[in-house]
Amino acid sequence: MSTSQPVETTGPPGATEAETLTPVLPTGSHRLSGVLGVRGLFRYGIVWAAVVAVIAASLLSGSFLTTSNIQNVLTQNAALALVALGLTFVMIGGGFDLSSGPLVGACSVVAAELANHTSTMVAVVVTIVVGALAGAVNGIVVTAFRINAFVATLATGSMFTGLALLYTGSHSVFVTNSSFNNLGLGSVLGVRTIVVLVAALYLIGALVLAKSVFGRALYAVGGGEVAARLAGLRVNLTKALTFVIVGAAGGAGGVIFAALLTSGTPSTGSSITFDAITVVIIGGTSMFGGSGAVWRTAVGLVLLATITNVYDLLAINSAWQLVTKGFLLVAAVGLDYLTSRKRA
Amino acid sequence: MATSSSVDVASDQPAVRLRQVRKRYGGTLALKGIDLDISAGSIHALIGENGAGKSTCLGAIAGRVQTDEGVISIFGHEVGDTSPRRTRALGVVSVYQELTTIPGLSAQANVFLGQPRSRWGWLRDAAMRARYVELCRDLKVACFADTPAGALSVGDQQLLEIMRALVADARIILLDEPTASLAPHERRVLLDLMRRLRDRGVTVVFVSHNLDEVLEVSDTVTVFRDGAVVRQDRASEVTKRVVVEAMLGRKLSEATTHHHPRPGSGPTRLRVEGLSVPRALTDISFELRAGEILGLGGLVGSGRTSVLRALAGATPSASGELWINSAGVRWPRSPRRARALGIALLPEDRKTQGVNLARSGAENIVMSDLGAVARAGFLTTRDITAAAERAATGFGINAAALSKPAGTLSGGNQQKLLLARWAHSLPTVLLADEPTRGIDVGAKQEILAHLEHLAAQGMSIIIASSELEEVVQISHRILVLAEGRVVGLLDNSERTVAEHDVLRTIFESDREGHGDEHVATG
Repeated sequence: MSTSQPVETTGPPGATEAETLTPVLPTGSHRLSGVLGVRGLFRYGIVWAAVVAVIAASLLSGSFLTTSNIQNVLTQNAALALVALGLTFVMIGGGFDLSSGPLVGACSVVAAELANHTSTMVAVVVTIVVGALAGAVNGIVVTAFRINAFVATLATGSMFTGLALLYTGSHSVFVTNSSFNNLGLGSVLGVRTIVVLVAALYLIGALVLAKSVFGRALYAVGGGEVAARLAGLRVNLTKALTFVIVGAAGGAGGVIFAALLTSGTPSTGSSITFDAITVVIIGGTSMFGGSGAVWRTAVGLVLLATITNVYDLLAINSAWQLVTKGFLLVAAVGLDYLTSRKRA
Repeated sequence: MATSSSVDVASDQPAVRLRQVRKRYGGTLALKGIDLDISAGSIHALIGENGAGKSTCLGAIAGRVQTDEGVISIFGHEVGDTSPRRTRALGVVSVYQELTTIPGLSAQANVFLGQPRSRWGWLRDAAMRARYVELCRDLKVACFADTPAGALSVGDQQLLEIMRALVADARIILLDEPTASLAPHERRVLLDLMRRLRDRGVTVVFVSHNLDEVLEVSDTVTVFRDGAVVRQDRASEVTKRVVVEAMLGRKLSEATTHHHPRPGSGPTRLRVEGLSVPRALTDISFELRAGEILGLGGLVGSGRTSVLRALAGATPSASGELWINSAGVRWPRSPRRARALGIALLPEDRKTQGVNLARSGAENIVMSDLGAVARAGFLTTRDITAAAERAATGFGINAAALSKPAGTLSGGNQQKLLLARWAHSLPTVLLADEPTRGIDVGAKQEILAHLEHLAAQGMSIIIASSELEEVVQISHRILVLAEGRVVGLLDNSERTVAEHDVLRTIFESDREGHGDEHVATG
């Protein structure tokens, strides 16, 4: 019944007698044109952009490529990095999150309070759990109540900030727990612990997306919700889980800010919403769901962090950062639209 | 070679048994107490007009439609509260009409969608690859394991869905209109595949509008009408005519379309010289008189749709000379420009390019020319309704349909709305792209008759259809295309042209001209 040819994985087995509906592309040339051709420019353009930005930054400012500057940049952006990582999952699943900045602020208050009244350990764990629960609320609102993710998270974000303001009476909560304030400032092989932790989470995130059942389901859900549902996937659960992930990331972000600033303030990290979205989208993860990768977010982060850092080092009016970021975001979204239209 | 999906079944046990199954949707009984046996290891077709109950019946077997009364058994196991999960556990898998592949995922990932081989939550790629390759071999199809599904043809994507069903150890595969969106050669492959599945012991149940296919491939044909089974036959023992009459519930009158003189003396409305589109069309020339219907004959990929798209202004790269009513005009490069020239398109995809599903039937009709309805720039519901009713006269659209959102109407009624739309604004040339796709047998003839009616009023019409039968039926002349070139122009004013004349023209041109492997590919 079947042929006895050896199994080939790159080509069609027994292509001569097989009924080929469309011609089979030779995989090799396909890959080559993918890196060098016009399509490659679209697909890997962000890498070149980040490389150019780093080179330009090191030419423009002598202090950019110093160890202390890099450690500082990475530490400052650790919270953003975690939220962007979580947001990558959300956006691949076809969702969106406008509440991550407010959540980071609210969680910084939670972390500060807990650090003052309980132990460092409890503060860290409970804050992350609180963030995850807030994310679960987002997930339920978006999936079970079928409320558009933009509107839903805009609303919950407003609530997170409001609740935090009510609790603190619009003041900051100062952290007196010194072991908490020194969190993540130790070092592993000369690299700050917090940076190592973030890098490890990125690695795990990449593995989960590429190699786990959950990751595969997520791409399917984002790529076509109806199709995924008909194939028997648990669409709502998968999508809701991505909000739990970004929520937990927001909780961790709150801990990081509370420790770094030795205080919890509701308005802390308000720029994170915008920055995280920018980082994910300029990395090349699609706004329309179904495609993207963790490495893309990492590269997007490098690009954005480099640009803001150079502006700081050169003492350029920080208003220009806003202009530049806005321009980058709209350009990246436009490019995403063009490429996804080309694919369709 | 035994695979997990070929199952030994006791021959007396039907794969599916329905007893007195009823389903009510609001006020209408969709299924009026269906009794149906589907024997294991057979190909069983469910046919009927839209709304006859065949798709509801398929849904009930799949567990997707909750029935109100009756018993459904799968291989003797009574399915109480039907749910997709329960029926799936019994080996019933549906392949849906609309594709359910995820374009961004690889072919292999699509096959294992929802049922990955995994350990502790991590994917086992090697195991999946081995099973995938084994399946490809069993089915004698080419593998595209790593190609994104979106880059595959519709036929290949459908194949992935069938493979998905086999991975799920399907014993009964339900196919809803499996060939509706396939090119002719892909249909052949699919029909062969259905036979091969049957030979492996899989029971195949399918719904189709294409009766030729139904009679060719199936073992048993069940005809539905008005929610009831009206006939069940061995496919080898019935004719198409008998089946159609059972579907319609009346004798088939000979000529539903009327007399057919070619308006030879009418003025030339449209003249096209040297129309070319890079990589699609080469040097197409023809002319069209008032009241004439020109059919475009050709296989998928021959350029039928490209001609219509170019004329409709949807192809900016089109070049050629164009005369409308003997006046030379620049080739339209935008749909808006084409409309200004009096060229209107009845699009292939009604739902996304034709009707506005959310607005009423009346609004859909007058949408093409709101200026004619407006008074000093303002529209009133009364004026819209009046104008729409005027335009709708003769199209068999009832008043209720005009006030309801177009999305709630059947495909046939939506198409009638679009025809009425052009009866409202009266373009010089109407381009009808697949005008009867997805429309049931009864309404098909009506749509064709309406097209003829519009032509009789002086409108010039170009029709492209993958159903050659229709083209031959209503066209005065047939422009035969192959590989983007004109290979023949057949005079059909006496209705002397048959389908095989068109096909012969295509294949003869192929033998004389270019290579032989391109004709059958889309």
